[in-house]
Amino acid sequence: MNGLWPIYKRELFAFFVTPLAWVLIVVFLVVQGMHFFLLVDHFALQRDVASDESPLSAFFGNTVLFYVVLFVLVPPMTMRLFAEERRSGTIESLMTAPVSSAGVVLAKYAAVLTTYAVMWLPTVLYLVILGRTGELDRHQAASAYLGVLLVGAGYLALGLCASALTRSQFLAMIWTALVLLILFTLGIGEFVTRDGTLMHDICAHVSVWGHMNDFASGIVDSRRLVFYGTMVLLPLFVATRAVDAWRWG
Amino acid sequence: MSTGGGVAVGVAVGVAVVVAVVVAVVVAVAVVVVVAVVVAVVVVVAVVVVVAVGVRPHPMSATHTNPAMRKAAISRAPTRAAVQSLALISVSHLTKRYGAHLVVNDVSFEVAKGDVLGFLGPNGAGKTTTLRILAGFLGPTSGKVAIAGHDVVTSSLEARRSIGYMPESVPLYPEMRVVEYLRFRAELKRVPRSRRRSHVDDAMGKAGVLEVAHKRIGHLSKGYRQRVGLADAIVAKPPIVVLDEPTAGLDPNQIRETRALVRDLGRDHTVVLSTHILSEVEACATRVLLIHQGRLVAEGPTEHIRSMRGSSAVQIVVRGEPEAAERVVAGVAGIGDVSLVQISGDATRLRARFAKDVGVGERSDATERCVAALVAAGIGVREVHADGGSLEDVFASLTRDGTDDGARP
Repeated sequence: MNGLWPIYKRELFAFFVTPLAWVLIVVFLVVQGMHFFLLVDHFALQRDVASDESPLSAFFGNTVLFYVVLFVLVPPMTMRLFAEERRSGTIESLMTAPVSSAGVVLAKYAAVLTTYAVMWLPTVLYLVILGRTGELDRHQAASAYLGVLLVGAGYLALGLCASALTRSQFLAMIWTALVLLILFTLGIGEFVTRDGTLMHDICAHVSVWGHMNDFASGIVDSRRLVFYGTMVLLPLFVATRAVDAWRWG
Repeated sequence: MSTGGGVAVGVAVGVAVVVAVVVAVVVAVAVVVVVAVVVAVVVVVAVVVVVAVGVRPHPMSATHTNPAMRKAAISRAPTRAAVQSLALISVSHLTKRYGAHLVVNDVSFEVAKGDVLGFLGPNGAGKTTTLRILAGFLGPTSGKVAIAGHDVVTSSLEARRSIGYMPESVPLYPEMRVVEYLRFRAELKRVPRSRRRSHVDDAMGKAGVLEVAHKRIGHLSKGYRQRVGLADAIVAKPPIVVLDEPTAGLDPNQIRETRALVRDLGRDHTVVLSTHILSEVEACATRVLLIHQGRLVAEGPTEHIRSMRGSSAVQIVVRGEPEAAERVVAGVAGIGDVSLVQISGDATRLRARFAKDVGVGERSDATERCVAALVAAGIGVREVHADGGSLEDVFASLTRDGTDDGARP
């Protein structure tokens, strides 16, 4: 894990010193703000609300806006991680410093995950508003944020892996978006296929919609933890091997 | 009958138990004995070895009363140590292959402490690939490379810690300020926090980037970026500095400054630099490696390469009759053939090729005779300069003369 801390700091610096990060964060917060407003408005106008529905559970993954924002934001966040350094050649000075491949991959991943968390941080205010005006289940909120973090962690790891596998930022972005969309579409199959078939089981297992609904209603299922653990570790491992492989290309 | 059988069985079991116990004891004793014997043998051997080594006269010990003997012993000791400690970089049978394309082909050399090694070759000769392997960016296809005693494959991190490397294109992060970048690099190269500031200041001072310390790298000129790259290479004060084409893309003034800087670096570091310009190696390096198409064609001290650089012809600009001048020059001893290069107004440019049998040392004499003959014939001489003597000529002569045994001097 040599070089983890300095690279982590530099990645964060590089991300926040460029306009890209601020543009992404502003877009994210504008969309989430609208999203929250529409939901609260919707629930305020309803006469009787089903007991398992609340603005909180709806906000975290019960509308398509949650996913669209992720699909739009994750690929540009991760595309530059390796592809940019390979294109500009800075990877050569980076990899000739005494740093290990795993250290480089983990540092870059930690930096982008931190950025993701920072992006979500202001949305805690929405919960404060909800708590002031009505009831708020703290455990449910914590579980929802755990879901947000896990789904993001998995998506960002996939994006990082794509960035390590190609020289072009644009291709890295396209690949990431494609894989995320395929995963999402596969998950939607849960609602299309017949109950009890193998296809249905597979779709239900990878369905991010299903996962987020569980988390948002306060259910922390160990199967989800294992799924997202795999979604993080496997791409990071592949990325580390890819970084090692450049040396022998 | 049944009780008798029971007794018999009981006796049998008893006997079996006793036998088992006895066997176990015997085995245990045997094991202990064997172990004891082995230990004893090992101890005895160790003692014998220690005694033998201790008794064997130490080269530097004062047991030699005979001065001649002592001298011999002393001179032997440093040569053995020299091989171990002075070769900071050792490369043996290095080969790098991209698919079917052989980029570096069976290259072996050593760099001693304090050397400034010039890595000379035309573009595409395999210089950058070799330096990248030294720096740990690429892995060798076969062969061994050791940096300060660390193998670049098996103990890559230690090897990389001993090297400061400046890649050919000097890649830097444009969004960082110079001092931020160097602090980042110092931390990355594990300079302890307490010494980081002084290391960065030293490097900036040596490379001459103090005046742009707080500018963004993206706003710097090519010359300054090159110097930031140099500062990065030396910021961790590594024993070895590797510079890939440090003067590429600079203007003549900057080239002169960079060469002076490299000579300065040579005092504190062992330097390896690559270039395709012969005069650059002559200006900076103490030793030269010539590489051509992935093969090492020549190796030796700089003077050696310099002597190979004899020009094959001389160009003379004269005023007067072109044909007369041509005739006069052609008649000089040591000149092979003469050709008219250009006539502009009353000035005529001639190229006089030296005869094949004229050695490098005698060529300046022949040049002198040319000028004397021209002047004696009443032809004005305006300009005389050497023609050729370029790297290509050196390569041409090297690859022509000794293709089989590599022509290593």
